[in-house]
Amino acid sequence: MEKVATLEDIPQGKTLCVEIGGKEVLLCHTSEGVFAIDNMCSHAAARLCEGKLKGSKILCPLHGAAFDVRDGSALTRPAVRPVASYKVSLSGNDILLAIPQ
Amino acid sequence: MSTSHDDSAPGAARAPGFAVKETLEKDSRGAPPPLLEENFEFLGDEDIACSRYYSHEFAKKEMELMWGRCWQWACREEHLPDVGDNYVYNIGPYSVILVRSSEDKIEAFINSCSHRGTRILGGEGSGYSAQFTCPFHGWAWSLDGSLKELPARWDFPHVNEQTHSLQSVKCETWGGFVFINIDPDAKPLADSLDVLPEHFKHFPLERRRIRLHVQKVLPANWKAAQEAFMEAYHNFETHDSPSGADAQYDIFGKYVSRFIHHIGSYSVDSLEDYPGDKWRRPPLSEDDLLNILSVFGLDAKGIPEGETARSVAAEELRSKLGESLGIDLADTSDTIMLDSIEYHLFPHMFFFPGITVPMAYRFRPNGDDVDSSLFDLMILEPLAEGESHPEPPEPIRLEIEQSYTEVEALSWLGSVYDEDTGNLQLQQQGFKTSRKPGITLGNYQEARIRRMHMTLDEFLAK
Repeated sequence: MEKVATLEDIPQGKTLCVEIGGKEVLLCHTSEGVFAIDNMCSHAAARLCEGKLKGSKILCPLHGAAFDVRDGSALTRPAVRPVASYKVSLSGNDILLAIPQ
Repeated sequence: MSTSHDDSAPGAARAPGFAVKETLEKDSRGAPPPLLEENFEFLGDEDIACSRYYSHEFAKKEMELMWGRCWQWACREEHLPDVGDNYVYNIGPYSVILVRSSEDKIEAFINSCSHRGTRILGGEGSGYSAQFTCPFHGWAWSLDGSLKELPARWDFPHVNEQTHSLQSVKCETWGGFVFINIDPDAKPLADSLDVLPEHFKHFPLERRRIRLHVQKVLPANWKAAQEAFMEAYHNFETHDSPSGADAQYDIFGKYVSRFIHHIGSYSVDSLEDYPGDKWRRPPLSEDDLLNILSVFGLDAKGIPEGETARSVAAEELRSKLGESLGIDLADTSDTIMLDSIEYHLFPHMFFFPGITVPMAYRFRPNGDDVDSSLFDLMILEPLAEGESHPEPPEPIRLEIEQSYTEVEALSWLGSVYDEDTGNLQLQQQGFKTSRKPGITLGNYQEARIRRMHMTLDEFLAK
């Protein structure tokens, strides 16, 4: 696990894109906690950090496709494939992430 | 007690006993002036054809000539707080995208690609995107609807921003609701609001938030479904309730009507020709009435000298709800605290100014099915002073066979809505069973239903 941000960096309802292992990962702070998914949309590779978090959904800036940030599943067309999701741990205010392979 | 009434002219008769107005005039804080207004005129007593509720031909005309040309609320402004936030609203074959295109502007567009027609956004409800992109060939538009990207533009010399931008839909706001009208030649929304802006100055709906949104499929035509909510006449039989036989009904114009159904009080005399002795001999005491009101979460047990069930309940709710909502309700009238006050806006929208009964309703056709409808029920909670609207909840969807009691947040209202909607399937079937070609309406208690059909006919005649 590697520290990638602190809770102060991401107010609830907001997202933060971090780079880890050469990969862009999107941290999403929802009312249910912090979740991490791939930053690239599985449909047309737009960057989800430029979209918007609504509840536990992230909406892609390009087509508006929705993903569940809790598990990366695709909720609406045109996205049909999930985005990868990563395990997040908290240590105090530190947000820790397992390095994606 | 005003028991004498000149009821010789049709529509002039009223329930025996005291009227709602008399309850309102005794309000401990003084009822807001619009609620003391009475506005009723007799609209006729002819039957309404049953076929209006199931004919495919009628539904088709209704879709084209009425739904395609009337103002209808699509979403709340709180669904679109930030630039790029959008909301898809569907009605029959029509689908409209509403979007906050800039900080101070909400626009609406036909949800169809100008290339080969595909709906740009699927489903219905809240979304976000920085631009609109068609999922078929990738044509894209800016949030203001102007054509932005056209892959392989070399093949489309006949296409440009003027010819292929998104088609604009008329869009206006009132009371925190965003309305659309699909007709490009529609007159302004204000022309269809009658007294609503004047009356709701006293009850600002823009200062409300969506606490709960339930969307259910109902087994009847949209008109029959909403008509189950336009009168309190059914309360005795459907809800096993003593009140409702004495509600006040107002018709404010072609588009707006109202009922005021007082809670925690009823006129015993209004039940004079109802079957049995229930609630008449003996009548309910003020203590009994307070006990009925305990569904509002009241702790009060007794009624002090000189008080009534209404005044005790209203006072307790003022402090309880005032505290939980963060609002000073000290001067709020008993009637706003307690009563079911329902304004209907043609063709299918309802707004409640009350605090304990704070709903908004919308009834629509369910696609092109004449035998079912979609009922959107929102609880609109007053917003604390200075507080901005939180993110609205996603609608909870219930299918035709599900019960409102499955929605825990509805609490005691769950079973009430089950009762309200429990007769709809029988009625929809009965429209087709009936040998009599039309339904019959009460001259006073069911006049709001007639007003709706009259305005609908005006749309169909155009």
